[in-house]
Amino acid sequence: MTSQELRTGAPVGPGHLAAPGGAGPSAPSTPPAANRMSRGRWWREVGWRHAVGLAAVAFAVFPVLYIVSAAFNPLGSVVSTSLVPRELSLVNFQALFSEPSRPFGRWMLNTLAVCTSVTVIQVTCSALAAYAFSRFRFRGRRGGLLALLLIQMFPQILATIALFLLFTELGTVIPAIGLNTLLGYVLVMCGNAFAQVWLIKGFFDSIPQSLDEAATVDGAGHATIFFRILLPLLQPILAVTGLLAFVGVISEFLIASIFLREAGVRTVAVGLWSVIENDRSNNLGLFAAGALLTAVPVVLLFQYLQRFIVGGITAGGVKG
Amino acid sequence: MVQQQLSTAPQESPAAHPPPVGSRSVPVLLLKVAVLAVLLSTVVSLTPALVAAERWGFLVFFWVLVVLVVAVYATRRAIPLKYLLPGAVLLLSFVVYPVISTFQVSLTNLGDGTRATREEATAQIIGSSVVQTPDAPRYNLTVGTAGSPTAGPFAFLLVDPASGEASVGTEDGLEPLPGATVTDGFVTAADGYELLTPVEVNDASAALAELTVPTEGGAIRQLGIRQAFEGSTPLVYDEDAETITNTQTGVTYAPELQGDREFYVDPDGQRLSDQSWAADVGFDNYVRAFTDARILSDFVGIFGWTLVFATLSVASTFALGTVLAVVLNDRRVRGQKVYRSVLLLPYAIPSFISLLLWSGFWNTDFGLVNDLTGLGVNWFGGETTAKAAVLITNLWLGFPYMFLVVTGALQAIPEDLKEAAGIDGASGFTGFRTIIFPLLLIPTAPLLVASFAFNFNNFNTIFLLTGGGPFTPDNPTAGGTDLLISYTIRLAFGASGAQFGFASAIAVLLFVITGVVAALQFRLTRRLEDVI
Amino acid sequence: MRISLRAAVAAVGIAALTAGCGGGSSAPAETDAAPAEPDAAATTGAPARDDADLVVWTDELKIGAVTEIAEQFGEDNGISVAVQAVTDLQANFVTANAATNGPDVVVGAHDWIGNMVQNGAIDPLQITADQLGQYSEVAVDAVTYDEQLYGLPYGVEALVLYRNTDLVPEAPATLDEAFATGLELKEAGTVESAFNLPVGELGDAYHMQPLYTSLGGYVFGQDPAGGYDPTDLGVGDEASQAAGERIEELGEGGSGVLTRSVSGDNSIALFADGQAPYLLSGPWARADVEAAGFGWDVQAVPGFEGAEPAQPFTGVQAFYVASNGANKAFAQEFVGGAVNTEEAMKTMYDGADIPPSLVSLQESEVAADPQLQAYLDAASAGQPMPSIPQMGSVFEPLGQAYSAIIGGADGAETMVATGETIRTAIS
Repeated sequence: MTSQELRTGAPVGPGHLAAPGGAGPSAPSTPPAANRMSRGRWWREVGWRHAVGLAAVAFAVFPVLYIVSAAFNPLGSVVSTSLVPRELSLVNFQALFSEPSRPFGRWMLNTLAVCTSVTVIQVTCSALAAYAFSRFRFRGRRGGLLALLLIQMFPQILATIALFLLFTELGTVIPAIGLNTLLGYVLVMCGNAFAQVWLIKGFFDSIPQSLDEAATVDGAGHATIFFRILLPLLQPILAVTGLLAFVGVISEFLIASIFLREAGVRTVAVGLWSVIENDRSNNLGLFAAGALLTAVPVVLLFQYLQRFIVGGITAGGVKG
Repeated sequence: MVQQQLSTAPQESPAAHPPPVGSRSVPVLLLKVAVLAVLLSTVVSLTPALVAAERWGFLVFFWVLVVLVVAVYATRRAIPLKYLLPGAVLLLSFVVYPVISTFQVSLTNLGDGTRATREEATAQIIGSSVVQTPDAPRYNLTVGTAGSPTAGPFAFLLVDPASGEASVGTEDGLEPLPGATVTDGFVTAADGYELLTPVEVNDASAALAELTVPTEGGAIRQLGIRQAFEGSTPLVYDEDAETITNTQTGVTYAPELQGDREFYVDPDGQRLSDQSWAADVGFDNYVRAFTDARILSDFVGIFGWTLVFATLSVASTFALGTVLAVVLNDRRVRGQKVYRSVLLLPYAIPSFISLLLWSGFWNTDFGLVNDLTGLGVNWFGGETTAKAAVLITNLWLGFPYMFLVVTGALQAIPEDLKEAAGIDGASGFTGFRTIIFPLLLIPTAPLLVASFAFNFNNFNTIFLLTGGGPFTPDNPTAGGTDLLISYTIRLAFGASGAQFGFASAIAVLLFVITGVVAALQFRLTRRLEDVI
Repeated sequence: MRISLRAAVAAVGIAALTAGCGGGSSAPAETDAAPAEPDAAATTGAPARDDADLVVWTDELKIGAVTEIAEQFGEDNGISVAVQAVTDLQANFVTANAATNGPDVVVGAHDWIGNMVQNGAIDPLQITADQLGQYSEVAVDAVTYDEQLYGLPYGVEALVLYRNTDLVPEAPATLDEAFATGLELKEAGTVESAFNLPVGELGDAYHMQPLYTSLGGYVFGQDPAGGYDPTDLGVGDEASQAAGERIEELGEGGSGVLTRSVSGDNSIALFADGQAPYLLSGPWARADVEAAGFGWDVQAVPGFEGAEPAQPFTGVQAFYVASNGANKAFAQEFVGGAVNTEEAMKTMYDGADIPPSLVSLQESEVAADPQLQAYLDAASAGQPMPSIPQMGSVFEPLGQAYSAIIGGADGAETMVATGETIRTAIS
């Protein structure tokens, strides 16, 4: 095991995090350095990375371009859409917001509300549990971790029968969380509260125990250690898991389509599903416009989270 | 070793050391009390409703929850549980419980045609057989009551539109109603009767449906708010014999088991109705899954492809995601943020939308893929090309996830190590392979297993992309790209409606299969064992 | 009614799958909630299911028209109504109804009736014979099941043949003629597709039905009372084998009139883009064709030369009374009374754009819009889509068979094998 060698430097406290440490793409020293490089060396060390990156971008982006083109194509049909739009128009976006039976704005708000609450709950529960799994030794710990992985393998779509029955019953006594309520739907989605445990635990394991030990010596309890010392260090992984949780919920439509029946309580995913369900080939424009707008919060969230994901920790420890 | 290292200080420390400062502070204490108070008051306020509705299961659940929360958070014992409880409660309620109840459903024949209880089904079969008496008048109806508008007893105050004569109908039969005031063809006042408003009539629907006024040609029944018609039902249920007799033809229908359900059938085996009722069938659904000739003959091939699909999906997305994350995770690469944002796009668009679009991209004559590459391949027409198309699409859908995860995991690897493994030329790759990659695998290995399990049951991708096709004429049930889940779902829901019992049994079996495969992977990846 | 195969599969797959079952549930919901708003709850807010005096479920395309009728009904009776557009309508309705959590009235296609009846989800209607006589015969036949009337029909739909008159001025008298002119145009490079009939990789038995029937095939035979007989399966018989062989000749290995590249996803759009001279589709394509900007005409689908007439499946749209609705009296009053008027039928036609089933309305509308006659002719010429539950076992394998045949598989053999498959599935 190489764990000893891998341990590096002094433990970092939360205070150290703010220090830029020269990391991140914004570091001002980089461009001059590049300029000083010979062209050949630049290509060997950096240039080829751009080549790989651009190739990947091409692969990632061409279907997206198609969606963009479809969204701005006034004809809105499959056939009239190509990678480069023939005409540019906002009619599809206008149509999204002008039809009262398709309250897209409301769907968007519903989606944001659902995604935000589920993300917060999921990441919180997962981080708390990851702390317990990483730092404590208790009976059933190993089994619990394996069970988590196993349970997530159950084909969810087939459990919807049971979920439907459960929430029908629940709704008769507590209408606020019954079928056709956003709250009930949020609860179902929160069944995956532990979805991010493994990822966060992996990160936890890479934070040296010596940190906790030092704090314990100073008289800090487990809660203090978690909230004051470890949580700030978790930023990068919390950002990543937050995004994963958010995206996992935003595109969910199978359960939503039985839980959220009415136009007013739908999320964007199930709302758009209802749009295509009725007419696939000619609603393409509408549907693409909706898809683009759905992607906007995800992209914005990612933009916001990027700073935490990258360069959040400049020196940490890894245990093998 | 890892285990020893990890298992030292923290567990003992909270007990060994003086009470922690943070958790004793007043705001934290207040927060604890507030949360407990909210929970307790919620449960207390729900209790009467739960008792009234006789939902004992929920009642027990909520009170056990309260006791648990108090036991865990109001004491200083069970520290790990303090961190595990919130998520565990959600997991048990909305994942584990449904899994258990799916198993219960798998022991029944629930599905289309068997949703009702036997009593309900019998009542509906008889109720649906009512026919109008030919040439009988349609009466104008006003509902009256000699008692209260909610409890009755009710009477039909009827006007025959042809003669304009008013009469009153009760269970005893139809009698003239001489003292009634008739306006516009409806009784608007009658001695001894209070008249119901439309809303009151509607509210009394259940009671009124029971009220039939016997006549020579059958019985007069309510129809909506303002009408009554004369009709009769030829079917009569005999409670003792549990049979239904058609009084017109004299045929008696008795329950008989056909397949996994009972129907009312005549002596020749002809069904009276397609409606059946729910019943427990024990492990029949599992037996059926194991003995169905079609399933047996198709299983090996589909299981093999499912494994290949899941393995290649994980391998390709992880490989591409890792390469991109590592290549771009270099501070000298300018525009990292832009790259990351763009590479995330496939992930930002809801996957079912992407899948529907991709299914069009692969069209032979009008699809984007052939347009861009000029290949002219009928992708979904052949098994191999369809599989390739499915894998490529799944790669597109899945690599941003891996890219994100690996980028996140890379941040946990210290800069100096990364620099030590500096990737320049062939030696750089060796450095990556021997130093960085093993470190990356630690936090990501469990996700790879989870991703494998997800793809093993990736119904959406197959269903929205190829629908399982291409199919060959000699075997229309097993398509070239069918996964176990899409194949079995087609079996369970394809013919004569949904079969929830059978589908649930399949779900449980798939769960077991996935679990076994995953467990094998645990064994194979010793690394994972180390992590635990 | 629109049967894109994927939608049909979706109905059986996702929809049914995600639906639950409520056999064991008991007491209806207690309603201590606030009194309902008097207007329709179609737009916003939490469901008014338990509050409204009449709850109607429909889909996105019809919600406008249904809401208009329901609101009028609510006003006339001083009650609150709620009209809701529900996805995966049939499966959700059957499930919710079984859990006594469903609507009072549901609006949907007639081929749901078999499944809804086997689940005891809808009640028969008691409409007088006089009133029924005012609806077209095919519509009444379609909503009659086990000799009982289950739905009040408001619209009839069947496949028609659209033609781009800029490309083909003369209406074809036979399918052969249409195929020939289409192929000429394709060879000349004027169009990309000779004849748009959606096939796709999974096939589309609904759109193939006019061809299949013209070639002598049938799916289920009819008993004397007009109901479909699941024991009399026509797929696999000699006529169907001959039909299979003919379809093979039209496929990719033959003349290329039919191709798997044309699917439900692009068929209408290609035609509207001027890339096909003919389109086999239903009334739902009309708006797109009208918007396309070229001359067009529509006719009932002609048969093959010297063969049987082409008989598409006729779909009927109807209102049903739920068996477990909380407001049955209002539901019966609504369906049997308020909807059963020429005024309401006109509202449905204007709002949902489905050719009407009420004869008097058909006549007055055709006077203003002669092209409507072609749609009505097609619907009358067709056979009601079988609504027996066994039909669920037909569409998928038969569609796949067509796709395989068009892709080059042996027509006769494939039809025989498919007949066997269907027979096994429904036995």
